[in-house]
Amino acid sequence: MQQSRTITRSQFLAIALSIVMGLIVVRLFWMQVIQHQHYVALASEEQVKKLVIPANRGMVYAMDGDTPVPVVMNQQVYTLFADPTVVTEPERVAQVATEVAGGNLLVDDIPKVLAEGKQQKSMYRVLAKNITLRQAELIKAKKLKGIGFQKVSKRVYPEGDLAAQTIGFVNNEGRGQYGVEQQLNDRLMGKDGLLKSVTDVANVPLSIGKDNIRKDAVDGENIVLTIDRNIQSKAQEALLAGLQRSGATHGSVLVMDPRSGKVLALADFPTYNPADFTKVTDERVFRNVATTEPYEPGSVLKTYTVATGLDKGVMTADTTFYNTDKIQVEDRTITNALKGVTGTISMQTALNNSLNTGMVTIAQKLGDGSRITRGARDTIYDYFHNRFGLGERTGIEIANEQKGLLISPEDVEGNAVRYSNMAFGQGLNVTMMQVAAGFSAIINGGTYYSPTVVEGVYKNGNLNKENNSKAKPAVISAEASAAAKEMVHQARAGYTKDDLPGYYVGGKTGTSQTLENGQYISTQTIGTYLGFGGDDSSAKYVIMVQVSGKNMNLEGNKHAMPIFTDISNWLLGYYQLQPRA
Amino acid sequence: MSYSRTATYPSRRQQSWGRNQNTARFVSPVKLGPVMHTILVALMILILGLIYLTQASGSAAYDYQASELDQKINELATKKADLEVENARLSALENVKNSEVAKAMTQPSSTEYVR
Repeated sequence: MQQSRTITRSQFLAIALSIVMGLIVVRLFWMQVIQHQHYVALASEEQVKKLVIPANRGMVYAMDGDTPVPVVMNQQVYTLFADPTVVTEPERVAQVATEVAGGNLLVDDIPKVLAEGKQQKSMYRVLAKNITLRQAELIKAKKLKGIGFQKVSKRVYPEGDLAAQTIGFVNNEGRGQYGVEQQLNDRLMGKDGLLKSVTDVANVPLSIGKDNIRKDAVDGENIVLTIDRNIQSKAQEALLAGLQRSGATHGSVLVMDPRSGKVLALADFPTYNPADFTKVTDERVFRNVATTEPYEPGSVLKTYTVATGLDKGVMTADTTFYNTDKIQVEDRTITNALKGVTGTISMQTALNNSLNTGMVTIAQKLGDGSRITRGARDTIYDYFHNRFGLGERTGIEIANEQKGLLISPEDVEGNAVRYSNMAFGQGLNVTMMQVAAGFSAIINGGTYYSPTVVEGVYKNGNLNKENNSKAKPAVISAEASAAAKEMVHQARAGYTKDDLPGYYVGGKTGTSQTLENGQYISTQTIGTYLGFGGDDSSAKYVIMVQVSGKNMNLEGNKHAMPIFTDISNWLLGYYQLQPRA
Repeated sequence: MSYSRTATYPSRRQQSWGRNQNTARFVSPVKLGPVMHTILVALMILILGLIYLTQASGSAAYDYQASELDQKINELATKKADLEVENARLSALENVKNSEVAKAMTQPSSTEYVR
């Protein structure tokens, strides 16, 4: 008889439970051991938050005498928004928003906008922008339902359009554009910090996690400019007044300390307020003309030719030549703009009357006496380019600086005709910054200082000065510098009696033709003036002025020089220079 | 002649204490069974757990305080920055130039500087 094996119910239950338990154990093993990392990552994603600690962008300061004053600051502002699906009292919201943030409102009819939003089931409607913390607190205190705030940092400009083209602005992505904001973006930006922490539902960081990280933000540097806000303001005011007098539509002024290369003012017109950069329609308005727009400076460069001749010892102020108002250079005849000062005249007279023939004569003297030889061209190039820095970027801390064009004698185009033109400021493209820096070397005793707009860094209430200007001593001799300075002084004295008496002021006019499609046109000229001022001991400032306008014939002596005079006379008082008795 | 032992002395090997030590052995009359042991262990775990939770929530409370203080610091820093901006605006050149005090000033006929 065969005995059948039967499983009792309790045995069946035990087996079933064992199987279930086994499955659970396998599943747990799978989840806890095999997929351990995956679930840890999921948990971490849920519980651990990475919060960026934003770095504050550095402020920008200008100088007020010896004291830094802020010209670009940061302000926390708020955007007021409403969730129309939650708002219960649209009329009250409108009333409160209008009372507290009237000037910042973006919508006229708030109840209507909220009603429309509610109909469209929209949960976000911006009501006002750029409201201050105080305004936000006042609105919060009213405890309105469905109202919220978003905090944003914004650049503010307490001095308005002061030095706008030098400063630049910060775009909506937080990057500097134009001026020092762009050029020194990395220094100004700082480095964001990081907070990685377990948080609660309200995103409050908790210290219970073992992998919490806190890396503090490094704020950007507070850059102090060499720009003196008083001189800058005066330059802008004088430029505007000068342009209104002449009817010119564009103008630029550069004021520099010739003893250090520090730029004291850079004014451009038309201008803009960086706070409203989005309203600017013409991109040219953003540009710093003195550093980014090379042009033919015209006769102001005669000071360079004179300095070269003096330093090479081929002339003095009293050296004479026979002027016929024209001079032949290879197949070209070069003439003077001012005619009639003919006969045997001195180089001083040639400079006073801005005679091209005199400058071509100096260039010839640098050669064999009658031709602008290769040696003469090499000499002119050495002085203009290597010593005075024309045709090379100066390295100033303003974005998009251009180098211009100074054709080398090595180049086919660097022939005698080209160099005869360069002797009176044509046939080359240079920036105002290059010209003013080289001119500073001519009148300061012969040391070239590369221009700079950065005075230093402002930290913990102290100005830590930087020496950003590179000095190149003895680009011309002290004697040649003194002689050139005196010639420029005499050149100005022959033009104007408007200088305050008892000071030592000099300058040179420039009226340059403009090129259109590679050809000089007669209907448009740019007026330039370049000069210095100070007392008998030394020149305290160099000023360069440029005025221009579409289809306008503007002249250095009539339209640019009065602006120079206005600023120069004011600066003599500003620096409290005592006139000689 | 025969001797009988009146007391039983354990050998020295059986003693867990050394010579000349005054010791007393207490044997509790209460015996704990396995259930009681389990309950006691569970109680200990519970107490330890409670202690851990108290400490953890205590540190979380400090976190909230720290977070509130951070928020307060941020608010005060924002207020300070606002005041600095306001100060800069009020002392901006345009404001100074257009102030009543500046307007009331007159141009000197001549100036001498003292050095």
